[in-house]
Amino acid sequence: MGFFTYDVNRYTPKQMVVIPAIILMVALALLTYNIATIGLPVEPGLDFAGGTAVTLHTTDTEETLISTFAAYPLITPLQGGQSTGYYLKFEPMSDDDLQSLIAFVNERYPDAKIDQIGETFGKTLQQQALLALAISFIGMSIVVFVAFRAVVPSFAVVLSAFADIAVTAAVMDLVGIPLSLGTTAALLMLIGYSVDSDILLTTRVLKRKGKLEERFAGAYRTGIIMTTTTLAAIAAMWAVSFLGQIPVIMEISSVLLIGLAVDLMNTWMTNAGLLKWHVQRSEAR
Amino acid sequence: MRADDVKRLLRDWRVLLVVILTIASLIAIFPHIDDGKPATALQFGLDLEGGAWLQLEFKAVIAGFDTDRPVQDFVGDLQKRLDAEVYLVEENKLEIRRLYTEPELASAFSASGGQLVSYEQGVSRATADDVKRILEDKLNSLGTRDAKVNTLTSLSGIARYVRVELAGVDMTTARDIVGKQGKFEIRIVTSGNQTEHVLFGDAITSVGVPERDPQQGTWGVPFTLSDEGAAAFRRAAIDHNAVNDPDNHELIMLLDNRSVYSAPLSPDLANQLRSGPVRVLSASTGAGQEALDRAMALEIHLRAGALPVEVSVAGSGSVPASLGDHFKTMCLYAGILAVLTVGAVVYFRYREPMVVFPMMAINVAEIIILLGIARFIQQLDLAAIAGIIAVLGTGIDQLVVITDEVLHEGRVPSPNLYLKRLSRALGIIVVAAATVVIAMLPLVLMDLSTLRGFAIVTIIGVLIGVLVTRPAYGRIIMTILSR
Repeated sequence: MGFFTYDVNRYTPKQMVVIPAIILMVALALLTYNIATIGLPVEPGLDFAGGTAVTLHTTDTEETLISTFAAYPLITPLQGGQSTGYYLKFEPMSDDDLQSLIAFVNERYPDAKIDQIGETFGKTLQQQALLALAISFIGMSIVVFVAFRAVVPSFAVVLSAFADIAVTAAVMDLVGIPLSLGTTAALLMLIGYSVDSDILLTTRVLKRKGKLEERFAGAYRTGIIMTTTTLAAIAAMWAVSFLGQIPVIMEISSVLLIGLAVDLMNTWMTNAGLLKWHVQRSEAR
Repeated sequence: MRADDVKRLLRDWRVLLVVILTIASLIAIFPHIDDGKPATALQFGLDLEGGAWLQLEFKAVIAGFDTDRPVQDFVGDLQKRLDAEVYLVEENKLEIRRLYTEPELASAFSASGGQLVSYEQGVSRATADDVKRILEDKLNSLGTRDAKVNTLTSLSGIARYVRVELAGVDMTTARDIVGKQGKFEIRIVTSGNQTEHVLFGDAITSVGVPERDPQQGTWGVPFTLSDEGAAAFRRAAIDHNAVNDPDNHELIMLLDNRSVYSAPLSPDLANQLRSGPVRVLSASTGAGQEALDRAMALEIHLRAGALPVEVSVAGSGSVPASLGDHFKTMCLYAGILAVLTVGAVVYFRYREPMVVFPMMAINVAEIIILLGIARFIQQLDLAAIAGIIAVLGTGIDQLVVITDEVLHEGRVPSPNLYLKRLSRALGIIVVAAATVVIAMLPLVLMDLSTLRGFAIVTIIGVLIGVLVTRPAYGRIIMTILSR
């Protein structure tokens, strides 16, 4: 692959770990700042914040839409706007207002999709989603420790999975992808993807015979092709959902794309660096 | 590949299993043409089918308590103080069918001589099941096609939400249907098949849960009438001589003009009615399991579709059918494009059709089997489809691990060494699969209903891969490479 040259054997463990460590620190600082200011690591979407969203396809301009919905608590600027699809978000409103909005939308844009989440329900979903994330992460860590029964390699796998999620969440926040049910699922899925290549790397390096450089290089070859095939599948999903305006799938695939890119860094810098340090240290003894 | 290779492969049970499962799944999915449009037996979720959903929240509390008083006295006291139905659902847990805040309950509990130990909004599983039954019955009786009702139960077993999905209707209609009460009426037989109006459902002030008469062993549903209702009931029974000749003057209960129950007055009740109005009545359905079922159905009718617990709308949504169709087409394109792109990437890496072809074939078989199983247990919504495409990604990942592992150092190893390498590759895959399953498990167990499908599809996909398709791929690639 010509567009990307990186040789796992050329750098010392310290050199490999330092860049991702700085990125992780920055990401954690951003997430902590968000928790302190908005109560959540990433700006919540409709599912968690509550409110009403209307997805519609129309040739009306943005100004027309804003004046059309002037009577309702529309959040501007409008999102979406690619081709003719719009995603209109409204603040939480009373049930009567909501009923009238629904009737209005049904009459004027009969093909619109409407979603409405109450604030308390959003809160419940929020708690459950964060709990799900925590339980998944702990469960994954246990599986990894049981599988390897060695502290440093297991720690390296768990750390890079953690860094994948944290950095991806920070990037989501920067590019404006909200935390929703779909993106929480994508973050959970990242645990699986992340661990895939980490386990390959660890198993190849620890259990195979031969020179250390060859073991790393072999694992790297396989690992890159694994991640690129997955990236290809997700990119196809992203492209179709972008062209076809399917917000849920577009959010999920965007997060997975970011996450897989972050995972490339964490697997081949963080995890590989720690593993190299571990192997060199135990072979020196 | 030569013909005898194929024959040899088909004799391997792992490969045979994949072939059989793929064919069985294709039959289960049953792709066909219906009205000139392609159709399958797959169940699609609301966002692909079009329709509306409502998420209802129970206005009730499950409260743990501690008291030195006899439980019955304590509960009786609380019931009066809170002016709400209070039921004992566990040894030390109460269901309070009205929404009070935690401090409000705490003070009511201590005033009744007890202590509030735990507080969670929601209802017990039994009540949630009642609600589900009532809603299903109501939706069916209104002839709504394809209605689904699911209660969402938290890990502690308390249900706080119930989700209603109605295919093919818009949100306003859905809210109307769920909120609509049936028209309930009691009539009395005057002569032959002539009947006369006695009272409407608004005269019924409360309905109890089915009870068993301890003496006769018969099931009955207790209900209470308002003062005017009780007077009207007495007048009708006396005027039409039902008190003296009950068997020829049966009482008939109608829901939306459909008879749901009819029975003569009992001798006991006839006697009581002679001396004055009776407010508390019980409609008996006889003894045995069948009678209990009838009593449960009657309870719903008496409530006229009203729920035992007040609910509020916590969320709702709708997808027009046309948009659902659009999503469905797009998902199909996304799937096909994903398979093709993955194929291209794999080909770019291996440049060997004999490796790439079986890889893609196994990958496609895996998805067909996944769909075949999903057809029976899980409806496919947008999130579930994203799960399928994600599984396609991990699936091909793991086939790459196997291929690279056995092709190590570019030489095809001896069968012995081959099997050793294959089992090492499968070892990597099993650990990776276990972590995915563990990561997805919380979503299956939790209330996040829309993500359940995603998690279930992902888990099934991973399991099919580990148990069925990856071992078969190992065999196929061995046969091909050892030529």
